[in-house]
Amino acid sequence: MTQAEPLASMMIVFYAMIGGAIRVSTPFLFVALGECLTEKSGRINLGLEGNLILGAMTGYAVSYNTGSAWMGVLAAGGVGVVLGVAHGWICKLPKVNDIAVGLAFMGLGTGLAFFFGKPYIQPSAPRLGSVPLGGWSNNPQVQQALQINPLFFIGIMLAVFLWWMLRNTRWGLVIRVTGDSAASARAMGVNVDMVRLLATAAGGCLAGIGGAFLSLSYPGSWNEGLSSGQGLMAVALVIFARWNPLRCVLAALLFGAAGALGPSLQSIGVSFGYHFFNAAPYILTLVIMIASARSRSAAIEAPRELSIIK
Amino acid sequence: MTPATLSGISQHPDRAMSLSTQQMTKSFGALCALDHVSLNVAAGSFHALLGENGAGKSTLVKCIMGFYAADAGAIILDGQRVAMDSPRQAQMRGIGMVYQHFTLVPCLTAAENLVIARPDAPGIIHWRTELRRLEAFMDRMPFRVSLNRHVADLSAGERQKLEILKLLYLDQRVLILDEPTSVMTPSEADEVLTLLGGMAQRGEITVLMISHKFREVKAFCDSFTVLRHGRVTGTGSARSATIDEMSHMMVGETRLRARAPRKSRPVAQPAPLPRLTLDAICADDQTGRRVVDNVTLDIYPGEIVGLAGVSGNGQSALVEILSGQRPLAGGRLLIGGKPFSPCRTDLDRYKVFGLPEEPMRNAVVPRMSVAENMAFRSFDKPPIMSRTGFISPSRMRAIAEQLIARYNVQTASADAAIETLSGGNVQRAILARELSGQVEVLIVANPCFGLDFASVAEIRAQIMDQRNRGAAVLLVSEDLDEVLDLSDRVGVMSAGKLAAVIPTSDTSRAQIGKQMGGAELKPDIRHPGDSHARVS
Amino acid sequence: MLNTRVIESVTIPLAALLVSGLVFSVFLLILGKSPATFASLVWTGGFSSWFSIQNALQRAAPLILTGLAFAIPARIGLTLLGAEGAVVIGGFSAAVVAIPLVTAGMPAAFVWLVMASAAMVVGAVWVGLAGWLKHHRGVNETISSLLLTYIAIAIVSFLIEGPFRDPGSANKPSTMPLGTDYRIGGMFDSSVHWGLAAGLVLAVALWVLMARTPFGFAARMTGGNLRAAQGQGLPVGRLLVACCAIAGACAGIVGFFEIAAIHGQANASLAAGYGFTGILVAFLARHNPLAVVPVAILFGALDAAGGLIQRRMEMPDATMLVLQGIIFVVLLISDTFHGRLPFGTSQRTGART
Repeated sequence: MTQAEPLASMMIVFYAMIGGAIRVSTPFLFVALGECLTEKSGRINLGLEGNLILGAMTGYAVSYNTGSAWMGVLAAGGVGVVLGVAHGWICKLPKVNDIAVGLAFMGLGTGLAFFFGKPYIQPSAPRLGSVPLGGWSNNPQVQQALQINPLFFIGIMLAVFLWWMLRNTRWGLVIRVTGDSAASARAMGVNVDMVRLLATAAGGCLAGIGGAFLSLSYPGSWNEGLSSGQGLMAVALVIFARWNPLRCVLAALLFGAAGALGPSLQSIGVSFGYHFFNAAPYILTLVIMIASARSRSAAIEAPRELSIIK
Repeated sequence: MTPATLSGISQHPDRAMSLSTQQMTKSFGALCALDHVSLNVAAGSFHALLGENGAGKSTLVKCIMGFYAADAGAIILDGQRVAMDSPRQAQMRGIGMVYQHFTLVPCLTAAENLVIARPDAPGIIHWRTELRRLEAFMDRMPFRVSLNRHVADLSAGERQKLEILKLLYLDQRVLILDEPTSVMTPSEADEVLTLLGGMAQRGEITVLMISHKFREVKAFCDSFTVLRHGRVTGTGSARSATIDEMSHMMVGETRLRARAPRKSRPVAQPAPLPRLTLDAICADDQTGRRVVDNVTLDIYPGEIVGLAGVSGNGQSALVEILSGQRPLAGGRLLIGGKPFSPCRTDLDRYKVFGLPEEPMRNAVVPRMSVAENMAFRSFDKPPIMSRTGFISPSRMRAIAEQLIARYNVQTASADAAIETLSGGNVQRAILARELSGQVEVLIVANPCFGLDFASVAEIRAQIMDQRNRGAAVLLVSEDLDEVLDLSDRVGVMSAGKLAAVIPTSDTSRAQIGKQMGGAELKPDIRHPGDSHARVS
Repeated sequence: MLNTRVIESVTIPLAALLVSGLVFSVFLLILGKSPATFASLVWTGGFSSWFSIQNALQRAAPLILTGLAFAIPARIGLTLLGAEGAVVIGGFSAAVVAIPLVTAGMPAAFVWLVMASAAMVVGAVWVGLAGWLKHHRGVNETISSLLLTYIAIAIVSFLIEGPFRDPGSANKPSTMPLGTDYRIGGMFDSSVHWGLAAGLVLAVALWVLMARTPFGFAARMTGGNLRAAQGQGLPVGRLLVACCAIAGACAGIVGFFEIAAIHGQANASLAAGYGFTGILVAFLARHNPLAVVPVAILFGALDAAGGLIQRRMEMPDATMLVLQGIIFVVLLISDTFHGRLPFGTSQRTGART
């Protein structure tokens, strides 16, 4: 055994972590941006887990049937919009609890995905291509680790766009006013329910696209165990990111890195505690929630209409 | 586009408009909030609207602003009779109002708040140009607020300035201000009022200001109108009228009214021990601001201590501490010299009872039945709880039915949800629950708010009855009449602090009124989180 | 005299079930399947024979308990999703605690007692943690309890595949099997295990607790108006944690019966999704512990018919998930009608019964 070997495997773990963090974080990023937009308008959608799974299934199925992975992404977004509109419409009815509606949509989305997804577990659909960023290295493991999906870059651009939109457009300001004070928004003549419905629909669309990434890029196949709470963790992630789309990117990468810990250790043959490392993102989320629950800065930046922080 | 071009009239030299109401009348159910009120505010004048809480000032301006439709009467704007159906319409006609609760959006910056308030805010906002225009606007304005700070980070006084700036930015030419200086430090208040006064004098705007504070009225206003119990009781020039005259119009003579008989206290041989003691207690709100500041108070058996004050000066927080709804940040509570914490064991041991303000929010569970709500004090004791530890619904209902009859609570049945009852009946149900047994300490907050006269008399009589039977009563109320009527000793709370508590017989309405208005007292800082928007 | 609220809380969920049935029928028609066949298969699979009734009751048992695990915290105003995690971690604790006792040859009844206690205590602590975090740290209980579920599943998988793995379990990592002597059999010669009895007893006991004891009264006060409960000096924090702990204990018992009566050892099958169905059961029962029982039996029957429907109608097993999802969504929409129905409600009850 030479001395260089442990260093080399350390580097491989490092690149695997970076690549893994980016891969794992992409669905988080989309769901978190969607949830961020929805929550900015003062509504919470716990049902994005359903959007994610149904989006994954739809994306895979459409990609398989049309032969175009990007058509799949589009369809996943479309399905997300439908679920989002339904959520938004039900929540505007009086006496309806938006958290419970989220749970129901989590169940319905999952059920529909499993129902229609059965025939697509076996066949192989065209995947989304990747951008190789590891060309500088001649180590194939590094090259493989740095295959980045274009959706990641789209997600980053989207985050920047949302950040810009929320502060530089009339629409963005209206969304923030609605989330902060429905009474002020109504006084300005804003249709609060409509703003929230649209924000929920757009959020649902993003979550659907996040799902398409799961089935069309990484892990890159459709099965029933594809999502395990990413949709829900995104809600905590948004609180952690204090409703700022740019901070959502960082938070998603952090969660991605936590999620990539187990697989990247496995890549160099450390398989002990694989399941334990699987718990890392959840534990991280919980710790973050405990830390940010009574933080004064989170309390100041939170949309004041949000039922979850009242 | 500059705000000045928003409405085409801006080139008009005399921008100020006159505003008056004629014979304005408005009732809420049995309560006549406005009784043929005529108000005249000349163009370019700075007019004060004075009155106690509940005198009808807010109702009047809300009618002007189109929040309420008046039952009768007219609004005359610039000599023209106008209909005001919505706040939006008032805004279009150039009337803007600064409310007691803020309408600014806390998460937005000052600049964002101003731009989004514009009816013609652009789709994509070029902040550099907007900010340049806003800066230019600020330069023309008599006072300024930092444009890039979030409203949540502004002090209450700065927010109030921004509220006023927003109206000027939207080119509103009649400004209605609802106690604008209550959240400002005296120097801030002087600055803002001086500058607004200057704008009025130059004929740029007309100002109608609701106020409690005679000092400000004397110093800055041209004319004033006083309301009491929904009627105009006086009007005149603020320059010539004296504070005593205004105070007299505002609080009136000590009227003879049917009041609960007050038994004189037997002179105790040895000096009695205080029953309830607040020893240097403090409390903070969620953002860490001190809302109750070092309050010390002794209440003796058989007396009512009344705390008066403008809403939001820490009285609610004080009652919340005593009700276990807010943690103590400092100091201690004693009953009969022993430490007291508002948990169930101590409430029962020391026989502490309460009539909190806003019963639907603080005293009842709206969806539970009347019988259940009436059992809140007794569900875990015999006879409702059997020896085996189970609750007997039949006994609970039987006891409730007795109380319903005794306290004359109007309800379909003991099983009806309490949310189906009227306000007076909810309060009677609570009285029945809290006052039907032996009471040693009673905490009362705004017990008669929003109730009809019959209920008010009955509730006050009950409170007096408890005093006569030897209970130590703390009465916190925004209604000065109520405080003076019931209390043996009175204190005024201002900015979380309690001024000296003096026997009611040694003080006068005018003196207390002056204290509430900030005379002889330190700056009056109001905490927005603590104030409840109310119709007065 | 029945009060309107009671009438509403029966008719509105029933109407919601009916509407869900209609929506699901449309769904089936679009797919070219026959709703009538579906209904008759549900009848055959869930109710028609002693065999199918046993099957339905067997499947209803865990749903009663997970339904209670959602309903009790809901009465104090918490939306708690921790049941699934408590089932897994409670079942695992029961399986692990049994290993030394079984090896030592202790009597079965004693082993069961220890196992059940372990499952209840661990479940109670696990879910109680969510209540504690809510009261003392202000952490939203819905998210924290769901995260605790994922954490429980991951930790249990780790322990089953690592330290507690039975070397004999080659394909599916599991803990040491209990052995036939330590398996709980069916009640009274039926195939329905004693979990149903536990569910029924707990449903009645918890109904009594919530409706007839000072504890339940205080919990309902707190759930209805926190500030009023504080004003009456109630120990709000302790009540919250206690309700969560009760929920965790109920779910822990499910785990115990899964081990002692069904699987005989802890493995990945513990996470069977009873938690989600339990939420739906509790919502349909309007969080009334007694009403949980019939609703759970209904869903047990649907579940029992699932296999038959899969085979005869060539539909995937997720059909039931879709049906549950539809019922849940329609049920929540129906919430908006509470307190808004005219006196027509009584006529509608009459028409249906």
